Amino acid sequence: MTTLVAIKGGKDGLRLHLNEAAGWSDVLGALRSQLGQGAQFFNGARVIIDIGNRSLTEEQLAELMGLMHEHHLEASALASTSRESRSAARAAGVVARPVTRSITAPESPDGALFVWRTVRSGQIVRHHGHITVVGDVNAGAEVVAGGSVVVWGRLRGTVHAGALGDRAVIICAIELRPMQLRIADLIARAPDGAAIGHPEVAYIDGDQIAVESWERYRRSNRSDL
Amino acid sequence: MSRVITITSGKGGVGKTTSTANLGAALALQGLKVAVVDADIGLRNLDVVMGLENRIVYDLVDVVEGRCRLRQALIKDKHFPDLCLLPAAQTRDKDAVTADDMIALTNQLRAEFDYVLIDSPAGIEAGFRNAIAGADEVLIVTTPEVAAVRDADRIIGLVEAFEKGHPRLIINRLKPRMVSRGEMMSIEDVLQILAIDLIGVVPDDEQIVTSTNRGEVAVLDRSSRAGRAFAEIARRLAGEDVPITVFDDNPGLLNRIFGAFGIRARGSER
Repeated sequence: MTTLVAIKGGKDGLRLHLNEAAGWSDVLGALRSQLGQGAQFFNGARVIIDIGNRSLTEEQLAELMGLMHEHHLEASALASTSRESRSAARAAGVVARPVTRSITAPESPDGALFVWRTVRSGQIVRHHGHITVVGDVNAGAEVVAGGSVVVWGRLRGTVHAGALGDRAVIICAIELRPMQLRIADLIARAPDGAAIGHPEVAYIDGDQIAVESWERYRRSNRSDL
Repeated sequence: MSRVITITSGKGGVGKTTSTANLGAALALQGLKVAVVDADIGLRNLDVVMGLENRIVYDLVDVVEGRCRLRQALIKDKHFPDLCLLPAAQTRDKDAVTADDMIALTNQLRAEFDYVLIDSPAGIEAGFRNAIAGADEVLIVTTPEVAAVRDADRIIGLVEAFEKGHPRLIINRLKPRMVSRGEMMSIEDVLQILAIDLIGVVPDDEQIVTSTNRGEVAVLDRSSRAGRAFAEIARRLAGEDVPITVFDDNPGLLNRIFGAFGIRARGSER
């Protein structure tokens, strides 16, 4: 089966690839369900829409923009090899660019994002795959990942793993003291009290978020770790 | 080579203006030529803290809009002939100047002064952006309170995004006895969160209230603990290697030298 909609994180932000060969209504339907599943991941994000060599009419473009708007997404640009699509975009007030395929984030082969700095209040790190932060995530900062989140430091901000709907992800940190933990569609508030002093991991157990020490998690849950 | 340094904080009321006035005076005491600029347009008060309110004829916006020359707007300090104030306009707002105006202005000031200290408005909007536009370096002021530290963290992220180098931190209004009782964030607590270099610690000092109300800076008063702390920070700014002293709020106790804890201020070797 061909992929109708693909999401990639790039240097210039999120990129939505819409299959250029499939029927437009199929693509739009796939996009609608993808956006619905990952509502919290996409909320407020700026994305580049890459439609390849597809030619879009103004009506089709309006449909697309309407869908984006519905899900509180901002289209920062439309990338297309088709001149017709680009001029339709410009007419609708959207920045249009020729497709540049060379944009690749500094990511490992399996699509993880590596962040080596303190993530400060007001800053947001968003990526479709896993996110590794070497440094602290301070209160007021947000980390939003399609996959798992590993913080080699103190995690005090808000973190959302599996933001595209994947429940089989974990959040772990040397000091796991987030404001809020979110995994897929579940939300947990951090327990009150002082820091534990050892690494911990959060995951979905049944229908709620569980937090336990990394050592215990490793012994009890995954013999292969 | 003159240096333009912006003093900012995010949160209001943590001591930006008091720090600017005192650091300006302390640098002038060292024999340096210093200009202090009030970038808080519409809410000026650096002039009040320095006791120069009644001498204002022209202001920063007049200079930017070409109604006067820079020299006409600069006000000489009462005590130090080499310390000058460029006051903010009170009847205008932050939109009266642009970042480019501020860069042009600071470049003009560089020609005449060793140090240009810019007192930033609180917040993260245009006023703050204008205040750091022309800066070579940035000092962040915070008090040991969760809300102030949170805002400082936000500001540090923005300063880094504007590529103003690594800002340095002033912790203001520390009460060592509250810290020792576990009722106030300690220096280590603040540094753990903000992860930037500390340039000084100013103790909470009631005398500051009276001195700022009188329009006299604390560094002139040898008995003022806050004044001594600001004088030390000025020496570090100028590149001297001075260990950080935490002046205790009980005058009978020995000052604790922070060098003993392995925390030292970094000089301006950058």
